[in-house]
Amino acid sequence: MIQTLIQGLTIGGILYFVSIGLSLTFGTMRVLNFAHVAVYTLGIYFFISIKPLVGDMFPVALVLAMVAMVPFAYVVERYVIRRLYGESVDYTIIATYAVLLIVTNGIKRIWGVQPQPVADPIGKFVDLGDATISVYRLSIVVLAFLVFAGLNLFFRRSVIGKIVTAALDDSEGVRRLGLDVNRYFGIVFILGSLLAVLGGVLYAPMTAVQPYMGFMILLLGFATVIVGGMGNLNGTFYAAIALGLVMAVTGRFWSQAAETMVFIVMGIVLIIKPLDTYSTAGK
Amino acid sequence: MSLPIEITKEAPAAPALKAGLLTLGKDRTWLEMVVMTLAFLALWPVLGQHRVTDFIIFCILVLSFDLLYGYMGRLSFGHILYYGTGGYICSVFIAYITPNPLLGMAAGIFVAMVVAMLVGLIVSRADGAPFSLTNLAFNQIGLFCALSAFADWTKGDNGLPSTNMQPVLFLDFLEKPVNFWFSLFWLLVVFYLLKRLTRSPFGVLIRSIKEDESRVRFVGYSTFYYKWLTYVISCTLASLAGVLITLNYTFISPHAMDPNANLDIIFASLLGGAGNLYGAVVGGILFQLIKNYLPIWVSDWEAFLGIALLILVFNFRKGLTGFVMERWAARGQSAMQPEGGEAI
Repeated sequence: MIQTLIQGLTIGGILYFVSIGLSLTFGTMRVLNFAHVAVYTLGIYFFISIKPLVGDMFPVALVLAMVAMVPFAYVVERYVIRRLYGESVDYTIIATYAVLLIVTNGIKRIWGVQPQPVADPIGKFVDLGDATISVYRLSIVVLAFLVFAGLNLFFRRSVIGKIVTAALDDSEGVRRLGLDVNRYFGIVFILGSLLAVLGGVLYAPMTAVQPYMGFMILLLGFATVIVGGMGNLNGTFYAAIALGLVMAVTGRFWSQAAETMVFIVMGIVLIIKPLDTYSTAGK
Repeated sequence: MSLPIEITKEAPAAPALKAGLLTLGKDRTWLEMVVMTLAFLALWPVLGQHRVTDFIIFCILVLSFDLLYGYMGRLSFGHILYYGTGGYICSVFIAYITPNPLLGMAAGIFVAMVVAMLVGLIVSRADGAPFSLTNLAFNQIGLFCALSAFADWTKGDNGLPSTNMQPVLFLDFLEKPVNFWFSLFWLLVVFYLLKRLTRSPFGVLIRSIKEDESRVRFVGYSTFYYKWLTYVISCTLASLAGVLITLNYTFISPHAMDPNANLDIIFASLLGGAGNLYGAVVGGILFQLIKNYLPIWVSDWEAFLGIALLILVFNFRKGLTGFVMERWAARGQSAMQPEGGEAI
């Protein structure tokens, strides 16, 4: 029971890290960013390559991988996402998907298609009641809540955060105040990308690292964003945790159905929630 | 409004032939169909009969997608769901219930249509990004059904053969040339139907929905109903392609349900030019040529596809046929009025 709960919270935490960038990009730029998981996957491969160079220190390699992804995220934002601002949503999907394809191909070229294992950096377990819980997973859950609190602080207290929050609500209105939304958005985009790398690297010890790993998490991330409400940052957090728990509980009984259950939940949410609130998104 | 369409679906040949002969000068649909037939016949000796049949079936799929994307402006990332559903139901029907391929075909199309009707009720409420993603999610559910949930029947990863099908009259689908003519027949039927459909008031309506849905609603149409109906028609035609591919290969695997294959359709549609039927056919053939022959010389197929998509999106939006038509119009020859050209 506790094991399932922790499992769910762990998946939820990682979904949150990945989804927050998607939600921000959609909320401010109305761009559905398939290239988001290109950053995610590339970040993990950077991490794998950096880790032996810094003496197998997990946190150092993680930070370095995140730093290394900043220029890449900047290039994607500046030359693809920004050019798509104001375009109809189908072109944004196709263009960002194209970026994902190119990056995936590049990863296959450089690192190969064989799955690469990443060791659990802590490797300790604690007994909670009748269950044995990995300390690593517990720390991911704690980190997710910390990041949630930190982001809340960032978006409520800092000037950049306030501008972006306002832009999420009414991008045109903020533009009319004379603020260059795109510039602030660029900063937040990079922040979202870094969180995706963080999520990816934290997820790596629990799965096999391979070039196509981004595709599945992409679908789960979009499901999270839809359930939470596009551009709704707190909603994304609650949706991620809820969907993580759904996956963990389903996976306990029928492991192949875990991911499909997420989409079923998403379908139910789409039926219940009036979609007219979303439909302005296409304009 | 949908009534005349129903009639042409019932009996496409007789009244249409008369109308076609009467308006041969104005309406070039028949001429185009002959040209299409000749084009595929010409490709036969070059590519081999089996591959040409694949091309034809893919063109049906792209045509069906074009109704949804090109004409109504709804980008579905889950069109393959219906292709796979049609194929799988047909295959399961032949393998377990009756060896009659035509019954399997009818069952595949019928079930896919029912699925489209139900799924359509949900997805037609969305547009833009949620529409694409919801379709993608349903496609993922379909893949899960084919791969795990109904693995007892679909044989999961191994795929399901339907080699036990029996010939019906002169239609023996184990004889490959039969598949070619059968698929070509259906391509022409689909092309003709879509041509009629997109030129009818219904076609104008769905193009108006693409342009500005709230205005269409303002005029008094229930846009939800038309979006739903277009979705169902488009998806049912996609299932026809799935059924034909099953008959052609006498085999189906979860690959037919792979959501990544949606990209093939989108790319083909953009390449040829979305929003006109010639574009769908030209794009379908061109894409298949690229996909079949490019990997021989270029190993980084995905990167090539990605770069080509970026170029198409940023610089070359109307695709090949749109480009040609624009050049044609620029020469000041107003003789050629592109199909659906004004809606692009």
